[in-house]
Amino acid sequence: MNSVIYKRKTPLLVLLIPAFLFMTAFLYYPFVMNIMNSFTKITGLGTSSEGYNTPWYANYTKLIEDPLMRTSLKNTLLLMLMTIVFQVGIALVLSLMVDSIRKGTQFFRTVYFFPIVISATALGLLFNLIFLYNGGMVNQLLEKFGSGAIDWKDASHYLFTMLFPVMWQYVGFYFVILVTGLNNISRDIYEAAEIDGASGLARIRYITLPLLRNVLCVCLTLAITGALKVFDLPWIMMGSGMPLDKSWLTGTYMYHQTFSMGDVDYGSTIGIVIVVLGVVVSQIANRVLKEKDY
Amino acid sequence: MKKVIALVLALTVCGSAVLGCQKTTTTTTSTSAAAATTASPATTTAAETTAPAGPVEITVVTSYGGDDGNRVNYETAVAAYEKATGNTVNDASGTSNEEWKAKIMADFETGAEPDVLFYFNGADANDLVKNKKVVSIDTIRAEYPDYASNMKDELIPASPADNQKYAVPVNGYWEGLYVNKSVLADCGVKVPGADYTWDQFLADCGTIKAKGYTPIACSLAEVPHYWFEYSIYNHDTVATHDTLPASSTDTAGTAWVAGLNDIKTLFDKGYFPTNTLTSTDAETFQLMADNKAAFAIDGSWKIGWFQENAADINDFTVTYVPAQNERKATDLIGGLSMGYYITEKAWNDPAKREACVKFVESMTQDAVVSLFGATAVTALKNGTTAPTDADSLVLAALAMTKNATGVAPAVQDKLNQTARTALFSGSIKNIVTGSMDAKTAVDEALAIKE
Repeated sequence: MNSVIYKRKTPLLVLLIPAFLFMTAFLYYPFVMNIMNSFTKITGLGTSSEGYNTPWYANYTKLIEDPLMRTSLKNTLLLMLMTIVFQVGIALVLSLMVDSIRKGTQFFRTVYFFPIVISATALGLLFNLIFLYNGGMVNQLLEKFGSGAIDWKDASHYLFTMLFPVMWQYVGFYFVILVTGLNNISRDIYEAAEIDGASGLARIRYITLPLLRNVLCVCLTLAITGALKVFDLPWIMMGSGMPLDKSWLTGTYMYHQTFSMGDVDYGSTIGIVIVVLGVVVSQIANRVLKEKDY
Repeated sequence: MKKVIALVLALTVCGSAVLGCQKTTTTTTSTSAAAATTASPATTTAAETTAPAGPVEITVVTSYGGDDGNRVNYETAVAAYEKATGNTVNDASGTSNEEWKAKIMADFETGAEPDVLFYFNGADANDLVKNKKVVSIDTIRAEYPDYASNMKDELIPASPADNQKYAVPVNGYWEGLYVNKSVLADCGVKVPGADYTWDQFLADCGTIKAKGYTPIACSLAEVPHYWFEYSIYNHDTVATHDTLPASSTDTAGTAWVAGLNDIKTLFDKGYFPTNTLTSTDAETFQLMADNKAAFAIDGSWKIGWFQENAADINDFTVTYVPAQNERKATDLIGGLSMGYYITEKAWNDPAKREACVKFVESMTQDAVVSLFGATAVTALKNGTTAPTDADSLVLAALAMTKNATGVAPAVQDKLNQTARTALFSGSIKNIVTGSMDAKTAVDEALAIKE
């Protein structure tokens, strides 16, 4: 009886139509319009186009010549790399350690996951206070130990100041996924390895990591694609490319061009770059990190 | 049966999506009024303006958000309006900066504009006027003859876009040099007076820096606007300052380049905070309150900030910005640059029209204007009333404005938003660090015509 509804596919198709219409109206149509906008001149959000640019590909030429666009691309790729190394890396180490303890697993899960539920804006303000030059938490500690205050947003420190909160925020997310993956590995295998004399590190190397591969691949794919979308924390903390236009990311630079500079058509062009980059990178990630059946 | 349920569910989801996209109409108490709301704005009739039976909520955007010195006064005035009328105010105020301006423009362009807007009346609002997003005072007076009747009409600034008046001013502004007297006393430096020169200022800044203080509290990353304005004023006169250059090489352009180079000199000498290129305006101003910085240029609205944040208000005063060339120190930057607009959208909404008019009238009545800035330039027919319990900072401001020899408006208000963002958020930091020369920065900003 239960399978009758699945024998005829029409009802399922009907159920899929609303979501398809929604996606068409609010994603694919705006995206096509965005491509068209990138060839026209629009001086304000919501204002009509003033016709095609001369030449029509002017924004793409500008994109190639724009040094700030190069900076934003470089920073975004760097953020992606840092995300893989630190977000997923630290989450893996933490999850392995938590998986090895008998008590307190739930406590650590909650503690590490907690940053995810706080809004990025609030976290941005929090880290602004932590890294504040005059009277910030870190500088107060430095001054207490006899060291001078550091401008954590200057050209020497901005990368750490911008990336550290982003890394910190999402470690818990991957941690929870990895801990769940570790829980699915049968204890029997570990016990058998232990009887065979395998050390702790050997068990991780030859049992945990291979069996966790698929979960790790999911985490890495999520981390890589997620890095392309990072916007709020860097925007709150680093404002307009602070310091000296060095900290732009593709997302923050697109926002700046569209909303602050009113250059909507150029903002649209940057938007296309973000989409293309996202598609290419996620395809590469999917191919490189293809799941395996065991 | 399951197929029917599936079909009904699918149709419900589709239907709700379509209904969600429908234009909303304001519900009113009478059938005639409800019919009126569906009429086009162009055919608005008097019948539509019937006051709503119950209280309404209006959305208001002002620059009295964040740490604005008049935030408390604004909240008090809004509470008084709400109590008197029973209406409620959805306050979406922010801090006036380029991002705030951009957000307001985006709200208008996407149809999410407020009902009442407190905003600039110069070139910043040109698009609002050109696109008929705000209602002129004359239009409002046709229905509410007493609207802004406590203001001198000749002092209500007209829009540069069509020479019509739209914004009812609250209080004007002046920009002056706020001074931390205790820092100066510790450094053995006298408070600048009416005949204070730029050379004396540079020398005093050197003394203050040597003593371990920050001479100038200013975030070049966020709000270099005031130093820009006075720095170029120092190469202009009262008569010529309000001229937008055509290029960096004409008379006005040369003044702009020279002014920007003066800012670079101050930066090179280390007179700005160490983190001036990475700090916010709030951070640098805190140096004043913490007795770590000596000077800051800001507007009349900043008095409230000092009253709220200074441990002892008597440690602070406001005086003339040091002068050079033909400008006298007593020549101020000032004017009536902001006012309350009623948006076309709210005006065409019978439920909100009167509530908005009453709100603007409430916020621009004599007592409120005096509360917001008794020291400021005003359009009130009766003038402002100085508070009886005026503190030393307010008295200093009154003395400064009283003895001013000339007042020129801020010329940066003539630049469009994009040009201003390019200059203040983009170029100034590059000029002071030497990666861009002032001439190029001026020409690039002037080339942006939107």
